[in-house]
Amino acid sequence: MFELFFQQPLSVFQKGTFVFQSGWPVWLLVVLVVAGGGVLGWFGWQKTRAAGWPLLRSAALWVMQSTIVALLLLMLWQPGISVAMLKKQQNVVAILLDDSKSMGLTDGGVVRRDEMVKTLDSGLLDELKKRFQVRFYRVSDHLERTEGHKNLKGEKTSSRLADGLKQIAAETGSLPIGGIVLMTDGADTSGGIDRDTVNALKGRQLPVHTVGYGREQYDRDIALVDVQAPVRVLADSRLGVQVILRQRGYAGQKTKLSLKDGDKTLTSKEITLAADGSAQTETVLFNAGPAGIRTVQVSLGLLSNEENPGNNQMTRLVQVEERKPRVLYIEGEPRWEFKFIRRALEEDKSVQIVTMLRTTQNKIYRQGVNNPKELEGGFPATPEEIFAYEGIIIGTVEASYFTPTQQSLLRAFVDRRGGGVLFLGGRASLSDGGYAASDLKDILPVVLGDRKGTFVRDKAHLELTTNGSENLALRIEEDAARNNERWKKLPFLADYQNPGTVKPGAIVHVNALTESGKVPLLITQNYGRGRTAVLATGGTWRWQMSQPLEDKSHEMFWQQLTRWLVAGTPGTVLASTTQTVFTDDPKIPLRAEVRGKTYELQPDGQVEARVSGPAGSAQTVVLQPDPVHPGVYTGEYAADQPGSYLVEMVASHNGERTGTDTIAFRREDGVAESFHTEQNRELLERLASETGGKYWKPDNTKKLPDEIALSEAGISSREIRDLWHLPVFFLLLAALRAGEWLLRRRWGAV
Amino acid sequence: MRKRKILAAALLLTTLLGVAFAQRLRVPYSSFPFREDEEQPMPSDAGDRTEFQFARLQYPNWRSNDRTWSARGAWSIDYPKADRQFVQGVRRLSRLNVSSVEQVVNLASDEIMNYPWAYVVEPGHWDLTDQQVKKLREYLLKGGFLMTDDFHGTMEWDIFMLSMQRVFPDRPVVDLPKTDPIFHVLYDLDDKFQIPGIVNYPFDQTHEYDGFTANWRGIYDDHGRLMVAICHNMDIADAWEWADSPSYPEKYASLAYRIGLNYIVYAMSH
Repeated sequence: MFELFFQQPLSVFQKGTFVFQSGWPVWLLVVLVVAGGGVLGWFGWQKTRAAGWPLLRSAALWVMQSTIVALLLLMLWQPGISVAMLKKQQNVVAILLDDSKSMGLTDGGVVRRDEMVKTLDSGLLDELKKRFQVRFYRVSDHLERTEGHKNLKGEKTSSRLADGLKQIAAETGSLPIGGIVLMTDGADTSGGIDRDTVNALKGRQLPVHTVGYGREQYDRDIALVDVQAPVRVLADSRLGVQVILRQRGYAGQKTKLSLKDGDKTLTSKEITLAADGSAQTETVLFNAGPAGIRTVQVSLGLLSNEENPGNNQMTRLVQVEERKPRVLYIEGEPRWEFKFIRRALEEDKSVQIVTMLRTTQNKIYRQGVNNPKELEGGFPATPEEIFAYEGIIIGTVEASYFTPTQQSLLRAFVDRRGGGVLFLGGRASLSDGGYAASDLKDILPVVLGDRKGTFVRDKAHLELTTNGSENLALRIEEDAARNNERWKKLPFLADYQNPGTVKPGAIVHVNALTESGKVPLLITQNYGRGRTAVLATGGTWRWQMSQPLEDKSHEMFWQQLTRWLVAGTPGTVLASTTQTVFTDDPKIPLRAEVRGKTYELQPDGQVEARVSGPAGSAQTVVLQPDPVHPGVYTGEYAADQPGSYLVEMVASHNGERTGTDTIAFRREDGVAESFHTEQNRELLERLASETGGKYWKPDNTKKLPDEIALSEAGISSREIRDLWHLPVFFLLLAALRAGEWLLRRRWGAV
Repeated sequence: MRKRKILAAALLLTTLLGVAFAQRLRVPYSSFPFREDEEQPMPSDAGDRTEFQFARLQYPNWRSNDRTWSARGAWSIDYPKADRQFVQGVRRLSRLNVSSVEQVVNLASDEIMNYPWAYVVEPGHWDLTDQQVKKLREYLLKGGFLMTDDFHGTMEWDIFMLSMQRVFPDRPVVDLPKTDPIFHVLYDLDDKFQIPGIVNYPFDQTHEYDGFTANWRGIYDDHGRLMVAICHNMDIADAWEWADSPSYPEKYASLAYRIGLNYIVYAMSH
């Protein structure tokens, strides 16, 4: 339709430049248009006055007449569009054929690869060859040139489209490439087309025309979309895994979601499938067990007549850490909360609770210390002392109890050390404890008021916020809805404290429902490398005393909250990589952030990554200092074999070992190819649009050669196409004239 | 005849000596410096809500001929003066936020669960029902703490155990070692001695009945934490109650306060 009125494809207008061919100055056109409009307006005004017409009628006629004059003048100036056209047979068109396994899938009885060959054989290839030199490439896990389009094998289990395109852009720098035709289902297994690839193509002005194969959506399929599991957890802690799935054709039906580590079933549950096409999130909790690497295989039970049974299983690696973080709990006076928190945490094998209780003005009772010297002098007053802990709980202790040095150490503990600090409510806590006027106010997730008397021994029931509902650390019941109800039914707190105003960026997880209204009770925030929280009560002990003996909600709450407090606290070496499972990608980026004993960044050290892989393979990679980020060391390891790998990163300084950290990752080949097997049209359209190409359906590629010709990428020349004779102009003139006549007739003026 | 005269003289002498000895032992009530039933004034801050409140356990009496205590209930001996006078010391000697008045609790409802520390006096006279036994067991296993005091000798021990063995048939009563944290949590109580009650005035002896030796006993939970602290053959409550009397020896009152404080701080930290 567009071409009927404009005689050129839309892309000509998109890519071309508007020009006037008459040679007359453009300003003259503008002057004449304005003058014509003025003259018509003056005459119109005279007529209106004579005939006594309403002003609106005259204005309508004036607009139409002026537009006709403007259009006629425009046509006299001979408008045209200047476009770059590839010169015939002087340019190369690169045809990239997806040769991965997914192109062997059948859609409606036709194999995708066969359909691709058919597209080329049904005239497209001949037409391309008439205008351009054609080069074939096949792309799967790598890119390689091929002689024709009929010797495709489809053996490779990955499609690295981005790498292939980037390689073409790089390798054909000396060739007059006019455009790229990418024939694929878009099932890229490397995570999509990245910004670097698009920039490389745009840098060479290479348009990528994409031809999409395969059905855009299945009728009957259930697929895992993603599995989100923590990278590291403490031993014996409760581990939460979020499973995101999508299905079509099975809404309302049930299937089994199971998690296994090898042959051992970690947990399983029956789920009811949500509406077609909608993302469904299921949360599964299980005990992480003893220290070691958990290879968590998440699988969905196969349903009858599934069109793609290969996307029902995913693997994630979870590192269950051997460390036992030490948590220091200081309490300013004997109180029940202290006793019951201690009891709950003593049962937790994942953490070690060390407490100091101010029994009298000058006496401190210590429990859980490693030796009689520990905390002998009171609350830690040196970096070495305080950094020995990974989490700190501060009970009802007035701020002035901490010296200015201790206050700045607490801040450094969170900010630099990456530790967690939890402030409890109490009669000497928060505002009532003078924290608003102390340096510690900066690390609190709330802005404290000046008012005292914020701590009251009144009842408070509880309610999870939306964030609290999603927080796995607050799961007493596995199911989110049941958990919300459970929290509402917990025995009331013995007391609560108004914590003030929540800081921007902080998160409220639990509200207290009191006689004075709703009060934020559990608030958390990230601060520097660490995290802080306020639990504005000292009265959760009633959950222990007022519920049946076998109830474990109090213990679970405190154990999970404390693990949250310390689980992310790093050591002096923090090793990382970008993901735990690398699919079809042997290049593993390694990174270590190294700090000294007082957790200052250590930029002049040495870091080695000792990698042990499948079948006992071992290799050492020396990481290099990152010139941009002091204290950060990076490197890359080539993990060619599929399987699980363990990397111990060892940092040293002046020949002395300063710390280690261990990470694990897994290499998989051929798994990702089973996922996203529908045509990824969205990716293909975006790639084409961003590079100046176009997305094509296989049965509608007739005009593809014309589109490719409109390119500046290769050897091209500019040509000007006339626009003055466009049908749209004549239609518009006729419509305006006819409209004027009809209006005049209606108003009795003819 | 002569033989009869000698027998009559001996009988007379024995009677006279017996009367004289009896006169020497009798303590006239008017000279007794302690009055159990003094009216206690209500402290002005009695209504304040605090972290800790002295909880006194009310219990049914053992079938007894003692009409006075059967009517009032043996649980209330020394009540309320001992309780109130003790918490004054707790306030002064520790950082504990404590109420100036006691709270009487029983095992009929769950109200006792709001008081994880409870004191029971004269458990040598208690006789718990099955329901009370069950409640006490639940209370202790959840984290409650019970201090028993002021019962003496074999018979009262046996009566105490009749109920306690029903609470914990599976747990032994053991002598607490000197090293137990309960004797060191606040004060180091290495040298403990028998604390006498007022009936021992003027304290020539410190025991009652056949309870010659003070027994520091207890029942532990599965984690080695004391749930029940048993003070047998001593009367700590009397020492609290009469600590303000010049007639009651300071060394007993002082030890009684330290024991009470240690037991509370222990219960709030273990």
